[in-house]
Amino acid sequence: MTGAGAAGLVVALAAVATVAVVMRPRGASTVDFYLAGRRVGVVTNSWAICGDYFSAASFLGVAAAVYATGLDGAWYAVGFAAGFVPVLLFVAAPLRRFGEFSIPDFLGRRLGSERVRLVAVGVVQLIILTYLVPQTVGSGITWELLVGDGVLGMSAYATGVVASTAVVATLVAFGGMRGTTWAQAVQFLLLLGALVWLAATVVGAGFHYGDAVQHISTVPLEAPGADGALEPEQSALHPDRPAVFGEPGATYGGLGQLALIVTLAMGTAGLPHVMNRYFTAPTGAAARTTTVWVLCLAGLFYSLAVMVGTAARELIPGAVDDNPWLADLTVDGVLLVPEHALPVLGRLFGGEAGLGVVAAGALVAVMSTVAGLLLAAATSWGHDVYERHLNPRATQRQAVLAGRVTTLVTACAAAGLGLLMRPDTMVGATPSVVATMVTWAFAVAGSALTPVFVLAIWWQRTTATGAVWGMAVGAVVSVGMFTAGAVSSGGLLHDVLVTPTLVAAPLAASVTVLVSRRTTPPPDVERSWLIMHGTAADRRAERLARLVVAEDRRRREVRRARR
Amino acid sequence: MDDDVATTDTVAEVDATFRTLRRVAVGYFVVFVLGVAAFPVLSLTLDWWSQARLLGGMSPGFLVAAFGLYVFFAVLGLAAARLSSAVEHRMLGDTPATDDDLFLDDGRAP
Repeated sequence: MTGAGAAGLVVALAAVATVAVVMRPRGASTVDFYLAGRRVGVVTNSWAICGDYFSAASFLGVAAAVYATGLDGAWYAVGFAAGFVPVLLFVAAPLRRFGEFSIPDFLGRRLGSERVRLVAVGVVQLIILTYLVPQTVGSGITWELLVGDGVLGMSAYATGVVASTAVVATLVAFGGMRGTTWAQAVQFLLLLGALVWLAATVVGAGFHYGDAVQHISTVPLEAPGADGALEPEQSALHPDRPAVFGEPGATYGGLGQLALIVTLAMGTAGLPHVMNRYFTAPTGAAARTTTVWVLCLAGLFYSLAVMVGTAARELIPGAVDDNPWLADLTVDGVLLVPEHALPVLGRLFGGEAGLGVVAAGALVAVMSTVAGLLLAAATSWGHDVYERHLNPRATQRQAVLAGRVTTLVTACAAAGLGLLMRPDTMVGATPSVVATMVTWAFAVAGSALTPVFVLAIWWQRTTATGAVWGMAVGAVVSVGMFTAGAVSSGGLLHDVLVTPTLVAAPLAASVTVLVSRRTTPPPDVERSWLIMHGTAADRRAERLARLVVAEDRRRREVRRARR
Repeated sequence: MDDDVATTDTVAEVDATFRTLRRVAVGYFVVFVLGVAAFPVLSLTLDWWSQARLLGGMSPGFLVAAFGLYVFFAVLGLAAARLSSAVEHRMLGDTPATDDDLFLDDGRAP
């Protein structure tokens, strides 16, 4: 990367770091560290949720999946965006009104059981790790392509993994939720800006979306095979035809499409780093409005990601002859690693500076999601385990310190696993390594947490024992299924195995209901219902806010009158 | 609206609101599932869905996956949020507060 590109990257990362430092929590309270004082506004929170949610899988992965498999890749975008509809309908407002620190905290208090809390901590940690690893892989891929060199004897890939994880872990440990909220909001704007710039640039250079889809759909889709040569792909939907870009079937059959969307959509409601953000909203109504904003922003983001993935498929083959550096990255005009689609497009249309813009977007996407995941890990270890079980008499300062230490430990574990996963060994088996790996986290979340979570909010008879069984069955079945799917060959069974929520979530919900019916619900359900489904707290918060504003105005007028 | 901060809800009000909101959520969720599930069904059953060319050479299926579904999600979310908030506004908040059932700042009963 040249000086201009590197300078752009450094400026973007410095802006994020500055925001995190300036907005760090001033006090040492756990509400400030974990929940940003519960004072985050609707617009800021929606940007921060988007920063949290739009990871390397969204920025690099969606475009890569579209690049590699056409319309079937767009299902990742649809599934990621769809996830916030169930969140809005079933989770956002009641979750905020109940007002705890984390998903385990919510389940533990709602169901009156420390056992539920600890099992939920285990599931949450599993989700966080399976989500963190593809992010670190994404940062390694980006560094490898952009910088190409390692430091301190490490490979370029390893340097990317270690450097990005270390920077984010330090920012989170220092800035807590308050600093992270503002950093993630800025990160989302940078991310969206990079995508808008890329889309505008390719359109400005004469790219016609509809014509491109029609043009690249006239030939069969091809991908690099095991021997390095291009191999045509067969349609899973219509086995008698080759797969083409603009038609479904390149990867998934009819049931496979539905299974993928259900897995991604159900998983969102169980993602700890996203759900934790809802606790930072001032009221339940604000949490609901925030989700509407997120739905709109997600629609904009993913429709652009699908478009630039299409642009990469159309434009890169024609650019190989004029750009010798593409020869090492392609086979007959097709990229060896689909995640290179956006960086290559950035370099083609913006030179080294364009590569820097996309690099900044990719690393910012990784960093913002890793930040949210590390905070969620810190909350569940620091608050749910350390404060509740290991040291119940901990001072606020000790609890915050525990959160900071667990942030660093989780970051080390994620970086270690990221170093063990070599993405080049998995290319060819999946449309996008990063997007596929993220799907595993969604599968565990949607199978183990979401059914129990929704039942705890909407079914009074849910019991602690039912929730424990539901989470255990959901986690075991989903992990078992996608592990079996990884070694199975293609076909209908494979589609369902690799995206297991369609089977595992109903199973987990059924087990929760069956066991709950045979056990006794917690005694204070009525009080929980008043808090979750009543709006008294919202009205009080709004009226208090109005009183504060009126008092501020009155004081300003008094000061003005005195002058 | 007055600025009385001592506001609360009764059990009966909350129960009625909860049941109404559950109907709203389930109803919108069914629409959401039908909307999403329609895509693979149409892909399997209707050649026109994947083969026809509409705006700028895109098929109806591609247009829906690239733009239409996001608009559908946003409109559905906006409608559900407005309806849910209106239900809560109409069904909760009329009961005068008593000293026995005040709530703490975080919404919990004392």
